[in-house]
Amino acid sequence: MLHKKIVRRMLLLGAVCLLLLGGSTWYAVRFNGSRLVVPMDFSTYVFRPQDLPMILSMLLLILYVLCLAGLLVRWAFAEKRRQAGSPVTRTINPKLGFLGFLGFLGLGGFWTYGVDGSIFPFLFFTFFGFFGFFYEGKLSNTLMDERYLENRRRARAAADRTALTIIFLSTLALSQGRLWGGGDTMLIAHIILVSLAMGLDVFLGEFLLYRYDHDDPVEEGDA
Amino acid sequence: MPAFTCQLKAYRQRKGFTQEQLAALVGVRRETIMRLEKAQYNPSLKLAIDISRAVEAPIEELFIFE
Repeated sequence: MLHKKIVRRMLLLGAVCLLLLGGSTWYAVRFNGSRLVVPMDFSTYVFRPQDLPMILSMLLLILYVLCLAGLLVRWAFAEKRRQAGSPVTRTINPKLGFLGFLGFLGLGGFWTYGVDGSIFPFLFFTFFGFFGFFYEGKLSNTLMDERYLENRRRARAAADRTALTIIFLSTLALSQGRLWGGGDTMLIAHIILVSLAMGLDVFLGEFLLYRYDHDDPVEEGDA
Repeated sequence: MPAFTCQLKAYRQRKGFTQEQLAALVGVRRETIMRLEKAQYNPSLKLAIDISRAVEAPIEELFIFE
């Protein structure tokens, strides 16, 4: 687990970064003609001292995000190393399943496509897979005996099969090329479908494992 | 899964083991022993042999395949 002291420190730093960004945005809108706030043509950009607050706060935010990512990657590797020799599943809070709502960030793609034509936010639909944490959390600290391992293999196989079927069928349908006309629309539809299928794959893997492990509950008696 | 009947419960009780104790002896969860006793889970050869040794009963008497 991440040390509580580090988590508190990172939350505080994040709040400071957001406050600074908010302050410099207000300054740019109020006194600097919204430079670096609204989309602008950087090929003709000329530096002005009034841009400094916005530049510095953005650099600070980028630095913060990089630090956060580095910290999370380091923690993930440490956790993986610890898990490798452990006979039990990792302990995670089922409430992490709420991260699945991040999948709705994918809807942002419709907005960014309209603004500057970028379509990468559609990939965020994959985050719906985080709903699987809800079931993984319920199986926290479970002894991985042979029945668990067999159920995990079955669940992963079923999830992969479902996701691949969706990807295959959607590719087949989209490759007909006459459904919605434009190439952009087809690409966007394909990215959305693949992202949703990937999210479903991650979610189903955990959900089915939980189902297989808890199906047909037997009585608790031990006579 | 091939149909079979499991006599594990009788042999386990004869040895005076609880499901929890037997599970700990053979390195599985109690739920696995429960499902085994109800013939709802087909164990690996290794687990079957471990159980057979733990309850001191021949493997072909513990698991009877039709």
